[in-house]
Amino acid sequence: MSTNRPQGNAEHDYRDPLENYDPKQYAGPLERALATGSVSAIESRPFVTVPPTITVEEAMTKLVDLSIACLLVSENDRLVGIFTERDALNKVALEYEQLKHRPVAEFMTSNPVFVYSTDSPAAALAVMAAAGFRHVPVIDLNNCITGVISPQRVTAFLENYLHD
Amino acid sequence: MGLHNNMRTETVSALNLREPILAKADETLRVAVQRMREKQFGCVFVVDEGDKPIGAFSESLLNRLLVTNPKALDDPLRRHMSDYWCCVKLTDPIIKVLTAMQSRNVRFVCVLDDQGRAVALTGQKGLMEYIADHYPAQVMAQRIGCSPFTQQREGA
Repeated sequence: MSTNRPQGNAEHDYRDPLENYDPKQYAGPLERALATGSVSAIESRPFVTVPPTITVEEAMTKLVDLSIACLLVSENDRLVGIFTERDALNKVALEYEQLKHRPVAEFMTSNPVFVYSTDSPAAALAVMAAAGFRHVPVIDLNNCITGVISPQRVTAFLENYLHD
Repeated sequence: MGLHNNMRTETVSALNLREPILAKADETLRVAVQRMREKQFGCVFVVDEGDKPIGAFSESLLNRLLVTNPKALDDPLRRHMSDYWCCVKLTDPIIKVLTAMQSRNVRFVCVLDDQGRAVALTGQKGLMEYIADHYPAQVMAQRIGCSPFTQQREGA
């Protein structure tokens, strides 16, 4: 009869395959948090969602009344776009009177770059610093919106580590 | 040295500064908005004859005006510019940019030279880039805008 068990004294022959593993060293707690933490460590609430059918005027009134800079446009709880102050500036401002009754879906940024709530904080920073988007929607693995990250919120997150 | 120390010792000139949009107080909002669109900036600094800032006009202000008084687009900047803005000098430590933005809750900071002239613009974007530059191994290696997991099973 043959077995797959190794011959000899298993306790002495066994070698941990990870014994030479050299874990990543981080220069400080902030670097560690950026690399190994998750986006959920950054405050991403409150956030405001609107349907794509609301008018530009309604959307802009919401931005102004709530003193916020972006609206997440969702349909059936799925992110379909984002409407920000920058969209208003670039696509609406000079023609506001003619466009204010049109649906916001025509002027939002469709399919915006987002991060998953399980991504690292560095991923959110990359979207802002490398891709240049100021507001980064956060969605969960079921593709439901869970928040939005702004530079102020990233700065507040970094503040926790800046004084270490 | 850590990020915090570097922010205290490095000066604003080390940030990725941008050339600001400067406008005179008599220019109309419409002209200012056109220039903001062209340069993809969210803020105009209103300056006097010596290029010293006397006010700011941001996209937030623009939105408020559009909702409350859309005809104001043809008004001069001096009627609607904000006197609630902040500035730093090129030689100030970077931490001052962060402090200025947090204390005044503004996104843009005007950068002045020794004579007090507006020579550059920085703000949230500049600060994010500075922080990202500190941690290139973590930040610059990130995927941007694609799924972290396989959407479909592999074929046989």
